Amino acid sequence: MIISDKQQLKMLSPAEFQLLHEGTCRLLSQVGVKVTHEGIAEMLMSRGAQRKGERILIPQSMVENILEKTAKSIKFDAPDPAYGFTVNAAENQVKFGTGGQALYVVDRTSSEWVRRPAGTDDLKQILALCDQLKQVDFVTRPVECDVPEDQMDVEKARIFREYCSKPMNLANLIKLNRLDEVLEIIGDPAHVSFIVCLISSPLVMDSSAGDKLIAIVEKDLPVAISSCTQGGSTAPFSEVGELLQLNAELLFGYVLANAVRPGAQVLYRGIPITSNLYSDGSPRWCQPESIRRVALAAQLCRFYNLPCCGTAGVSDEAEPSSQAISEKVFSWTYEIASGAHYINSALGMLEQVMSVSYYQYVIDDIALGIVKKKFEENPSEDISKIAVSAAVEALSYFGVSIDEKVEAELAARIQHIENPLEPYSEEYIDEQLSVIEKAVTRSKSSTVFMTTARKGLREGYLYRGNRIDAPLNLSQVAEKLKAIAAP
Amino acid sequence: MSKAELLKSLEHAIVMGHLDAEDEGFDGTMEGTPGTVELVEEALEEGVEPQKILEVFGKAMERVGDLFESGEYFLPDMLASAECVGEAMDIIEPKLEAGRSSEKGKFLIATVEGDLHDIGKNIVATMLKGAGYQVQDLGIDVPADDILKSIEEFKPDFVGLSALLTTTMIEMEKVVKQIREKGYSDIKVLIGGAPTSEEFAEKIGADEYCRDVMDALNKLEEMKAAS
Ligand code: B12
Repeated sequence: MIISDKQQLKMLSPAEFQLLHEGTCRLLSQVGVKVTHEGIAEMLMSRGAQRKGERILIPQSMVENILEKTAKSIKFDAPDPAYGFTVNAAENQVKFGTGGQALYVVDRTSSEWVRRPAGTDDLKQILALCDQLKQVDFVTRPVECDVPEDQMDVEKARIFREYCSKPMNLANLIKLNRLDEVLEIIGDPAHVSFIVCLISSPLVMDSSAGDKLIAIVEKDLPVAISSCTQGGSTAPFSEVGELLQLNAELLFGYVLANAVRPGAQVLYRGIPITSNLYSDGSPRWCQPESIRRVALAAQLCRFYNLPCCGTAGVSDEAEPSSQAISEKVFSWTYEIASGAHYINSALGMLEQVMSVSYYQYVIDDIALGIVKKKFEENPSEDISKIAVSAAVEALSYFGVSIDEKVEAELAARIQHIENPLEPYSEEYIDEQLSVIEKAVTRSKSSTVFMTTARKGLREGYLYRGNRIDAPLNLSQVAEKLKAIAAP
Repeated sequence: MSKAELLKSLEHAIVMGHLDAEDEGFDGTMEGTPGTVELVEEALEEGVEPQKILEVFGKAMERVGDLFESGEYFLPDMLASAECVGEAMDIIEPKLEAGRSSEKGKFLIATVEGDLHDIGKNIVATMLKGAGYQVQDLGIDVPADDILKSIEEFKPDFVGLSALLTTTMIEMEKVVKQIREKGYSDIKVLIGGAPTSEEFAEKIGADEYCRDVMDALNKLEEMKAAS
């Protein structure tokens, strides 16, 4: 789909994005990233980085130089050439894919939803299903196979080769030494891309991920460099602080990838979500404050004019439900409007990326279709209005009647998504930088930001609203599932 | 300040999760006032018996538990208080008679080899410290051999293993097997993390699967009662 310029959302002014960029550069040049991989440290130093103890500092000029050089256009081919597409950084084209490596499948019995471990057979079935779903533009490996670790990559490649005719995202490579074999099985390397989670927040490079990134970039394959910070746990609870840290982690990845191959085909994948400090510290993917933060990350990426791998539609609900639909519709809408090009995890995902459901793929295919239609119907409509009308239509489609309570809840979520709680000023950015510096240089624990989150928790950083609870009518979904024959 | 007042202030500091003078405390206003660390040091200097200080920890954490149950306190509040107790224990431990400090037992915890996920493990480690266990945290990506070596040195009553990946949960089996092979039959092994389950614990011969930190605390109490 293509959105109009009017629909492109910018929650910050260019000057505010510029302040975020400069703050990020101060973080990279003064605090840097902990790198224990000697080869990578040396390579970066030979390109202009400096070393301070175990940390590698990246000067601003090096970052900016690389932002200019890195690929602005990335091509994704597919076994069926009709499904191929190109992401151009400056365009408002959006593609949607499934998401990754869920541990469980949620099945429907006659009376309830049942969660069970996912396995090889599910991978086959889900790929076959997604090959037929209209809204699935590309396929990111949805679940793992139940084979030993060293066979995982190869088995996965075989199944993709057999069941998928769309662009393939194999997500994380498990064994580096299997890469050649994987590419051979797939047949054409232009069909595949990867995701590498290079940094363990806050600001520590994972050596093994570093080796994988280098191997993927050396082969000139597209790769989304990913950072999934948890505000209030592995990153500041503050939205401004979390974005600074996230951006520094991702730009470090760009620096490494482009040091290996200038013009590397990298996508910016920032997932600055929050940690559920009201309960058990589990991630909140689809709550209003996370929708806002993830949207801001996509907007920051577009400010840089880089290809953007978004993340949207990962419900926090454990089962298909009206609450899940309401979460997903808002999350898709704001991520689309923020200019993400390649939206990962958009279909099928539940329970904070821990589960998928066959039903949910079909529900999402329908609901995402409704969101797209709303964007197309009125190219000059406000995003908040698109979000609400799409949510109302999607919920109604599945038999939920919309009363005043539901309307009020949707309106309250929009408020939380659209209204900043913190200033984007130079002083505030400096304050957040010193919070990050103190945390990463003094603490050994990744959960260093939890106890300092107490104030923000009381100030309402985490949205607290009501669930939308109403039974769904899924008869059409069941029929559609039946119509799509299992392999 | 009298000794009694000092202990009252200490209890208050722990309940408010006020670690030290640099820390902003519960509501962001406590920076610059003496926190748990300073108060414990002062109490020791004033000659308060370490045992009396230990009692304050228990009382304070009980109050924190109540506040959590009533919904007034949230996870980070509880963790902040637990962190205060953990730090304070490090100060008074050397002053206690041998064996006194680990009345609840010694707990060794690690995220297994190949796995970098530690948010859950850190929450568990902090809360156990707050509850009075003597905790050694080996961190992330810890090979089985290193865990075994630490068991030999630290002599824990409990070993806690965390894994968040289907590919690394297999490591747990290896660790449990080695623990049993070395003849540590009375060490209880607890496991946790998203892909693990009761069935998996049973399959690999671990003693308990823990859904979350509360589950872990309850199961530890049950094990203690049973022994
Ligand atoms: C945060 C996160 C990360 C962070 C980790 C940050 C950190 N410092 O821990 C980062 C971004 C670094 C990361 C990296 C990766 N991740 Co990750 N990650 C997650 C995520 C979203 C949340 C985990 C979490 O912190 N939960 C919150 C805590 C509080 O809960 P918890 O860990 O379950 O712990 C509680 C209980 O389980 C229990 N418990 C846990 N351990 C123990 C131990 C004991 C002794 C006891 C008693 C109790 C106990 O008590 C805890 C507290 O209540 C999960 C998905 C999910 N929703 O769980 C994926 C997830 C685990 N990750 C996943 C993957 C694939 C990866 C990567 C491979 C991604 C990549 N493409 O490179 C890398 C692997 C890195 C590595 N080698 O380990 C997959 C695993 C899938 C699979 N089939 O194995 C998941 C399920 C997401 C997904 N669907 O893709 N990840």
